[in-house]
Amino acid sequence: MTATSTAALAEATQPAAVPRRLGAPLWVGALVIVLAFLVLYPLLMLLFGALSDSNPVIDGFGKFRPSLDHFLKVLGNENVHLAFFNAIAACGGGTILAVAIGLAFSWIVVRTNTPFKRFIAGASMIPLFVPPLVAGVAWSILGSPKTGLLNTAFKWIGIDFRVDFYSMAGLILVFGIYYAPYVYMFTSSALQNMDPSLEEASEVSGASAFTTLFTVTFPLIAPAILAGSLLSFVVMLGIYGVPAALGAPANINVLTTYIFKLTAWSPPLYNTAAAVAILLMIVTAILVWAQQRVLMGKSFATVAGKAFRPRSLNLGPWRWFTFGLALAYLFVVVVLPTLALVIAAFRKFLFIKDFEALFDMRAYGWFHFAQVFDNPLTMLSIYNTLKVGVITALIGGALAFAIGYTVNRTQVPGRKAIDLLSTIPVAIPGLVVGVAYLWAWIGLPGGLYGTIWILALAFVARFIPDTVKALSTSFMQIHKELEEASWICGRGLLSTITSVVLPLARPGVVASMTLLFVLAIRELGSSLFLYTSDTTVMAVLLLDYYEGGNIGKTAAFSLVQTAILAVLLGLTNWLARGAAQGSARVG
Amino acid sequence: MKRRSVLAGLAGAAASWTLPAAAQDEFGSKDLVAAAEKEGSLTYYTANFAEVEQEVIKAFNKRFPKVKVAMVRAPGGQIIQRIKTEAAAGKLAADVVNHSDRGLMKELEDLFQDYTPPNAADYRPDALVSPKFWPGVTLGWCLAYNTELVKNPPKTWADLTKEEYKGKKIGQVVGPSGGTTWTRIMFERQVLGEDYWKKQAALQIALYPSGAPLSDALVRGEVSIAPLLYNIIYTKIVEGAPAEAIFAPEGVPIIPYADGITKTSKSPNAARLFMNWRLSKEGQTFAIKSLGNITSLKEPPLFPKGWDPKLIKVWVPKFDEFEKLRDGWLEEWNKTYGYRQ
Repeated sequence: MTATSTAALAEATQPAAVPRRLGAPLWVGALVIVLAFLVLYPLLMLLFGALSDSNPVIDGFGKFRPSLDHFLKVLGNENVHLAFFNAIAACGGGTILAVAIGLAFSWIVVRTNTPFKRFIAGASMIPLFVPPLVAGVAWSILGSPKTGLLNTAFKWIGIDFRVDFYSMAGLILVFGIYYAPYVYMFTSSALQNMDPSLEEASEVSGASAFTTLFTVTFPLIAPAILAGSLLSFVVMLGIYGVPAALGAPANINVLTTYIFKLTAWSPPLYNTAAAVAILLMIVTAILVWAQQRVLMGKSFATVAGKAFRPRSLNLGPWRWFTFGLALAYLFVVVVLPTLALVIAAFRKFLFIKDFEALFDMRAYGWFHFAQVFDNPLTMLSIYNTLKVGVITALIGGALAFAIGYTVNRTQVPGRKAIDLLSTIPVAIPGLVVGVAYLWAWIGLPGGLYGTIWILALAFVARFIPDTVKALSTSFMQIHKELEEASWICGRGLLSTITSVVLPLARPGVVASMTLLFVLAIRELGSSLFLYTSDTTVMAVLLLDYYEGGNIGKTAAFSLVQTAILAVLLGLTNWLARGAAQGSARVG
Repeated sequence: MKRRSVLAGLAGAAASWTLPAAAQDEFGSKDLVAAAEKEGSLTYYTANFAEVEQEVIKAFNKRFPKVKVAMVRAPGGQIIQRIKTEAAAGKLAADVVNHSDRGLMKELEDLFQDYTPPNAADYRPDALVSPKFWPGVTLGWCLAYNTELVKNPPKTWADLTKEEYKGKKIGQVVGPSGGTTWTRIMFERQVLGEDYWKKQAALQIALYPSGAPLSDALVRGEVSIAPLLYNIIYTKIVEGAPAEAIFAPEGVPIIPYADGITKTSKSPNAARLFMNWRLSKEGQTFAIKSLGNITSLKEPPLFPKGWDPKLIKVWVPKFDEFEKLRDGWLEEWNKTYGYRQ
């Protein structure tokens, strides 16, 4: 930017400067108040619980008896140490695998001429929509050492090889394949928005396509890779369903299964669970801090005010190899577990004596679906879930945009505090956060408790970090010069946001709202404490089927849930495509 | 036969009994019924499985169609936490609470009102821990096995320490999972012998967090034999699963629930009628026939399949010991079975 244009910018923005001087502190203040209510207040309740023996609602703050007992008990318990190291191993291994898969996939889809890319892109997101509990159940059906379908098939073919998913390796593999879409989402949009001239420059200078990939492309999308891997690691840390289904039979505990035990035992030990949750938060805080250190002072702006189309590498005949690779991956992550779920959903009982028994059609039917839809709660929960999902996506999306813009695009004082506040919830495990929201919000005046709105509020609060992070990468890539150009043309801040930033960030906004919608639909931990008979949601009902020991109904209901999500995903995909075309026009 | 049709058939049979007018008192006076119908609905908090309780509500509505029941279901510890917090905030929505852990409910006694069902005298005194709580549900432990995998099924509790079942063939629900399992563990040590746990643990037992996933694992063939609450495996057997269950002669540990009506109930008459019906002979018969429950009635209206009242005795834990021994014994159990707490 030249000195002349800076002067012009100063001149152009002068009329708007006065209200903005007043507006900025008001704006930051409003955001801080909203975040304090959504994040800080429940967190304080949690801290209060961890540091005392009392329930803040029952005993009140007046009877606060501070004690470090829970922390000391937790820190000194060797089972917690073991659970901690298991969690780090499972989530660390899972993240490495997720990054490898997610990155490879986004490169194949965005940057190569591999056939049927759109199909591959859509299908590769499916694991994201599968609730962790269902994923765990599906892989226990497939990979159990005793009754697993894979082993039954190996035996039938005559192969001596046997798999055992009730193990650390099983956990890592399932974590890796199910959380790869997180990395994919971040990296594919970054790759899409990247100016290909940088890669072209590298190749003109004599670097091979492979060297360019590792020395130019991947380093340029480093914020997206880091954000994606950090998010997937932290999300894995908070997952209960997968380690519950695959770790428990092998006596492998992780922190979430330990927390679940604490809340499920009779009597439940919520205060101790809160202490474990606070420890988990400290670990996450360190990771977030580390990520910011790594990215500090580096510019990753690659979307500039110049029109371009994402470059597509011609792989020649090798494109069928990448296609085959994608197909093989999809077979493992989508076809196999879905097949397991379909078998479980349509088969009356899951006792499969040998491979031939799988093809005994008398054992199949619609029993479980009939029973699921005979339950009046099923339709109610679907309706409530969709309602709460839409409310959450809209409110959360708007809030995340406001936060993301303030943090990434402005220099207003207080934006660091907003960034910090909006990052905190990522670290609170879902099983404990539910009780924190209950403690925090039950006393609110008015009729909020017991309505669908309190669920939406909890989901917005819980997933603010995921949504903001998903949006931030889009913001980081939009070069400041585009906004500056708008200001030079005499547009105000609001007008610049609506006419320049929003259209450019639209793929990111739609993606983050979709993510929020999906996360809200799957969320169990906070639902369990805030739902009532009228506001029951699908996740609560799914847990009920699972806890009821009926794998058939669990599978049938999760297929219903997946089908609903697939339809909605198709819809948002269509919206996002419109958005991408729109932003291409703007660019 | 489909489970739904089995249950519907049984529910229909139970509801179509025509009782003489005097027997209507079994559920309460005419005034109570009229007042309950005027209230029209009640909110029911339960730690039992939602599907099971839905069948109960359906059967109740066959008899009293004008009283709607809205249900909130959550796992045991979580529902207690919710009740406590809601009550403290003055927003307890429950009219009736149904919970398996008598100890936890006893701590909340102050939140509940005095209540006595019309047939109070028919209930076993050892199943009652407070005049406010009544065993609307009573569950009992059986020995279940997969009929495709076990050629020589166990016949007694003692059989579950036999060498032939070594190597993760037996599944067990872990001790600290709740009041129902703690009852079984107490029974094993007090009735089957001090060394029973040790002998059984030597067989390498597959541990499960709760009964429902274990019953599923048994049907799938992940384990071959498991002590289970009869109601968890009963409906699967009725549906035709490759499983069978027996009641062992050393005794059947039973778990009488503690159900009560809250002091803040907004529909106290509807709540009373619902409790009366569940505790009545008709309600208990329905629960035994359709759900696989046991009963805490002194004279059970009927017995589950394979239950010979001359041979099989129920075992109820002494409530003071149930509370006093719990922590120490569970710690020992965890060590013996290698369960990490």
